[in-house]
Amino acid sequence: MMRATLSVMLLAVVGATQAGAHHTGVYAPKDNAITTNFRDVKFSVQAGKFDVALRRFDEGPLRTEMRARAASLPAGLEARTRAALEARDAAGVEHGLMTFFLALARDLAREADHQLAAAPSAPAATAQRFLEAIWRYYNLVDFAVSQRHPSTSTAMRLAYDEADSAVRAAPAVDTTRLRPTFRRIAEILSRAAPLQ
Amino acid sequence: MTGTNEEVWHLPPRAVLLAAILLLLAAEVGGASMGRYKLELARWARAEMQARPAVHGLVGVRDVDERILDEAIFRVDAGLRLFHMHAEGMALVIIATTTVAVTLARRAATRRALLLLLTLGGIGYPLGYLLWSVLIPTLGIERGKALAERLLWLPFGGATILGLAWLSALIAVRMARR
Repeated sequence: MMRATLSVMLLAVVGATQAGAHHTGVYAPKDNAITTNFRDVKFSVQAGKFDVALRRFDEGPLRTEMRARAASLPAGLEARTRAALEARDAAGVEHGLMTFFLALARDLAREADHQLAAAPSAPAATAQRFLEAIWRYYNLVDFAVSQRHPSTSTAMRLAYDEADSAVRAAPAVDTTRLRPTFRRIAEILSRAAPLQ
Repeated sequence: MTGTNEEVWHLPPRAVLLAAILLLLAAEVGGASMGRYKLELARWARAEMQARPAVHGLVGVRDVDERILDEAIFRVDAGLRLFHMHAEGMALVIIATTTVAVTLARRAATRRALLLLLTLGGIGYPLGYLLWSVLIPTLGIERGKALAERLLWLPFGGATILGLAWLSALIAVRMARR
């Protein structure tokens, strides 16, 4: 009897292990180098440590990216953002960073529209990934946008929801429905800041 | 351990023990290699995926592609970790359950069938995770998973579950008879 009882206990443990075994892990998206650097600068500014923020900005990929994308950004954005950090102007820094991330998201929306035009039968996953990337950048500055341009923040959320539901509706992209939403996102983001 | 007394545990056959030990060894070697060659594995996976942009849905935009590559590399690593974990666990499960099977199953045919199900199932199931990891860079996350499921997880996991259910029923019958 003892042997059988021990066996039952063993099987209960093994069975429980086996039942929960077939999983493949949960992926939690990470920040990229630019968004990590943005958070460093932002939190340093919020803590009033402008010297730390300036050092992070000078040495980080955020500034490098601003320089690399200078042609598609408002003239002098990188210099203005740096000057705001030196002047301990938190609002100026926030505006500079907001403008930069809106530009990144806008460029992604334009690129998505461009790629969907080139490949109308693209899988929905392609549009979904563009949408995720746009939201990842926009979401970083949504609070700043909503304080400065509340109607833009609302319009952006509505446009995102519309694009998201269009992407989820079918396995293949409905370009007639999706391309206008990406164009609208690009337009909304361009209006939110003096972008080129 | 192999006396005639009814209350004595019996050892499983040597081949079963050897298979379990080899699986344990593979788990340890896999775990050590995963730590030692983490960077090389990630580089290999990234290069393979970048060579197959259509398979992974890469669009040529860094902000979009980085996330796709990052997730796939995470899955490759997760597959290797899960192989390490499951192979370690299943090796011990094989030893424990086959010990119960050879001790309680009186009929030779039942004993043989249980040993086969529990041993093969226990060895094949963890290898599914290894196969999935290897397939991700060439086939993608979902297609790799579907293939690993069809080839290893379902048949071998099914064999283990069937073996465990059979063994449970056997124990229940033995307890009820007492």
